[in-house]
Parts: sequence; C-alpha cells; structure tokens
Amino acid sequence: MKQKISSISLLLSFTIVFLLAVFFAPCGAAELRILHVNDFHGFAESYKRIGSDELQGGAAYLAAKSGELKKEKPSLLLAAGDMIQGSTWANLFEGKPTIEVMNAMGFDAMVVGNHEFDFGTAVLTRRVKEANFPVLAANVTGLDALRPYTIKEVNGIRVGIIGVVTEETPAATHPGNVKGLTFLPVAGTVERYVGELKGKVDIIIVVSHLGYNADMALAGTVKGIDVIVGGHSHTKAVHHITVGDTIIVQAWEHGLVLGVLDLTVESGKVVRAASRLEDIMPAKMKKDEQVAGIVDTWAARVNESMGKVIGEAAVDLDGENARVTESNLGNFVADILKQQSRADAAIINGGGLRTSIRKGSITVGNVYSVLPFNNYIVAIRLTGQQIRDALEYGLSGIENKEGRFPQVSGITFTYSRKRAPGGRLGTVEIAGEPIDPSRQYTVATNDFLAAGGDGYQAFREAIRQAPDFEILGGTIRSGNLVYNDAGRWLRDVVVSEVSREKKVNPALEGRIKVEN
Amino acid sequence: MKVRVNDAEIHLAPGMTVRHALIGAGLMSEVEGGKKVFDEWGNEIGLDGTLSENARIYLEGERPE
Repeated sequence: MKQKISSISLLLSFTIVFLLAVFFAPCGAAELRILHVNDFHGFAESYKRIGSDELQGGAAYLAAKSGELKKEKPSLLLAAGDMIQGSTWANLFEGKPTIEVMNAMGFDAMVVGNHEFDFGTAVLTRRVKEANFPVLAANVTGLDALRPYTIKEVNGIRVGIIGVVTEETPAATHPGNVKGLTFLPVAGTVERYVGELKGKVDIIIVVSHLGYNADMALAGTVKGIDVIVGGHSHTKAVHHITVGDTIIVQAWEHGLVLGVLDLTVESGKVVRAASRLEDIMPAKMKKDEQVAGIVDTWAARVNESMGKVIGEAAVDLDGENARVTESNLGNFVADILKQQSRADAAIINGGGLRTSIRKGSITVGNVYSVLPFNNYIVAIRLTGQQIRDALEYGLSGIENKEGRFPQVSGITFTYSRKRAPGGRLGTVEIAGEPIDPSRQYTVATNDFLAAGGDGYQAFREAIRQAPDFEILGGTIRSGNLVYNDAGRWLRDVVVSEVSREKKVNPALEGRIKVEN
Repeated sequence: MKVRVNDAEIHLAPGMTVRHALIGAGLMSEVEGGKKVFDEWGNEIGLDGTLSENARIYLEGERPE
C-alpha cells in the first residue's frame, strides 16, 4: 500500500513538472545555435602557446567539433574577421588555404577584419569569390565583392547578419592596400542597416571586428541588435555578457576555442541564451579528415616554398657579428626598411638578425631563419637629438653583445667603446650632412623597437609626443607615425626584395666607425 | 594611443597589440614564463589582440579585484 502511494506521488510529481514546463515554455519558440570563431589568422596547425606544453587548436579538430555541435541543433557558423592572414601557412599563399578550410567547414558568413586587407584589394576580391559564403563589411565602400549584410533562415528563424570592421583599418596596413576604400563610422552604419532589416528578419546579429570594448559601446549606442559576435581584441569571453538587450560573445584567437551560443527565439525576440567556449585540444579530440587533408596539403607546399631559391648571395651575409659591428647583412636589411618606407634613415637592432647566409643560393627558408620574428616596418618622425639618443643607447651593451646594437641605413656614425655607456657616440651624419639635433627626420625601424623593445625609448617617446592620428582618404595623418605596414612581415618584404634583385652583394661601407 | 599595463602608462602606435604593450612595459619575459594576460573585465586576452585607447590590461595576479 505504502509503495502504491509513493508511486502515485511520483507520477503526480512528474505530471506537475511536465505541465509547468509546457505552461512556461515560450509558445512558438525555436532554437538556434551560433558557432563562432574570430582572429583565426591562418593558425591551421595545432601549436603550443607561449608558456604551455600542451598542443592546442588546429583546423581539423575545430572542424570536427563544429560538425559535432551542428548535428545537435540548427546552427549558424560565423567568423568575426582576421581569418586569412597571420601565419606562414596562410601568408605564403595570400590566405587561399584558410578559405579552403572555411568552405570545407561550411561557414555561413564572415566579416572582414583589418588583416583581410593586408594582401591588397585585388587578392581580397579573389578570396571573396573563392568563398562559398558571404563576406561582409557594411561600413566599407569601394569594394563590390563585400556585402553589407546577409539573411539566413534557420529552423524557421529569419536571421539578419550585418558585418562591420574597425574604422582604424587604414592606419594598420599599407596605404596601397586600402586605396579607393572608405571606412564609414560604425554606429551610424549599423543603425542604418538595423532599420533596413527591421520587419524582414526575426533577429539581428552583428558580426563585428571592432574589439570587445567597442562592441560594448556599439551595443550601448545602437538599439535593435540581438547579438554581437565579436573579434579583433582576441578576448576569451568564457560566457556572454549583455549590454541593454544585446548579447556579446567573442572566442579568443587562432581557433583555440569554438564559441557556442544557444538561443531560444520567440516572436522575434531572444528569450533565452546560454553560451560557452569549447576548448580545441587535439590530445582529447577526433579530427575531421577532409580538413586535415587540406591543412596537410598546404603545409607540404609551405615546406616546398622554404626550399625555393629566390636569389644568390655574392658574398657571405654576416648576421653573427651584427651585435658588435657594422654588418653587410645589417646594411642590406636596414636599406630595405628605409626604401620601403621612403624614410630618411633606418635603425634596426642587430640582435634581430638571428643567423648568417652563406655565399651562394638564397632560399626563402634562409631569409626566414635570419628574421624568424613576426616583425613589421614602421617609420616614425624623430628629432636629430632623439636619433642620437637611440644610437647612444644602442651602443651601451657592446661588452655583452646585447641585441640592441644598431644596424643603420642613411646614417653614419662614430663611437668609442673605451668611453662609458651613455658617452660612446661621436659624430653622426644623415645623408652625408651632420645631424641637426633640432630638425625632424623620418626613421624606419621594426615594430619591436618602436614599442620599446630591447629598451629603446626614442621611438616610443616620439609616439607619445604626438599620439593623435587620423585617417584621411585611406592614409594615415599623424604627428610622428608616418608609415605602419602591420600586415606584412619584414621577412616577406626581404624575400620580395631578394627575388627582385636576384644577386645580392651588400658591402661594409663605413656606416659605423670605431674612433681611434 | 595610450593604454595601461598593470599600473604603467604605455604609448603605442595605432594597430599595436597586447604584445607591444607588454614589450613597452618590459613584461614579455613574464608571459614567456607562463603568466596570462587579462583585460579590465577579467577576460584572458591573446598577445595579438588589438588594444583601444585607454584600455587597461593586467598580468595574471595583478588585476585588482
């Protein structure tokens, strides 16, 4: 009897719970899963992050996880920009391998990031045509291949997807890459397209390459956005946040995680949201064989490219002594910085040249070994005194063969290591004339020194003195920053130059003289 | 562009990243030693993440609660 009563109680409890669930469930509610990736940067192969011993990421594993999650619920797979540029695997082929992977994964839409412009508009147009999904940029005019938005219908939900990219794009790539393009203010643009889509769709997603803080500002400014899928700041937003009525998500970088946002939509409103990031850990996961094949094919082509002969060295190119004396390899590389940026002079750190190239054939791999770091060229306006300060600092660690020793172009100087650090520099000339401490000169360098790397203060001090910049007609207008090609690694510029010159024969020219 | 790394003010050229801010603050070696970097909201951020004007970032253990 007692058992019978408890069975009836249990049945009643289940019935009540079921009825409550039915009563409170949104009427006509439908589910939508948004899977998202941002700032992939062509990191198709798994790798160990700085400070970690564990392999993470990898497009084949990302694809497998995405496929698994798509099977569970009606889904959209979105990319929030900076997908095609940033690793050797992608850069050597101008981003084509990434598009192949994205096609295989079945992406539904992506927004361009600032780095999508790094290969120029002609290449970007080719990549867009190769993509089996729309590539968006509502706030960019001048490139017909890009669309402002797309509409997808998933599980009966009509989804409007608007793409926007940072207005600062022209300040972080070569001016030629964005020639003829206009980057419109983001908020006004989104407001316009939200208005246009209203009534045509149930929910609106903005796929943004603006950065986490800018996404929050956008959500606070423009009403009517249901979700912002973000990128640019490489933020590992473990869970979504909500600003006003707008949900904001972002999924770190390099495909190290896959973002998952599960929505319940009813009568054109998001009534429930749950989010998480799925770690992509190869040791614990299956891989997608089709995508693995694409990754391996292009990786093999990278290896082939590394062995490709691009020119010939008529002499040994000495990188080994670049920390203590003028080096012909230092002259060669510094000259390239100066020429590319059309600066008056160039200063690089000898320690940035990691090895030598022997007389004979030069391969792509040789250049990559000399310049293994992801550095790019910048040019900054410095006073003659700031140039003297930079050189003086560069000479202060010769005894210990510190990497800060300067290799130069357009400059000649004398020094004595017998004098104490801080007083070693003698005469300095630029273009054959004694340097004027009060005059301004444009000086090319790499981004590492510009940020204060190796302890150099002169470049960052010049940036601090004139921090404001504006973008007019696709070029930078700034007090002191006159060239900023963040999308092209210095080593790739050197590869191009060796390929163009064919025979390389840099000499020691007395640019750096030791005083008697 | 002005940002803050822990409590230090750092000036960067437009387009520069978390990595550049850490170089400027002389803290890259700590990251190479395994420390993570966080934004002002407590989210971990990647070294190639772009920073915006007045952004605040912190090395692991340095962010005020």
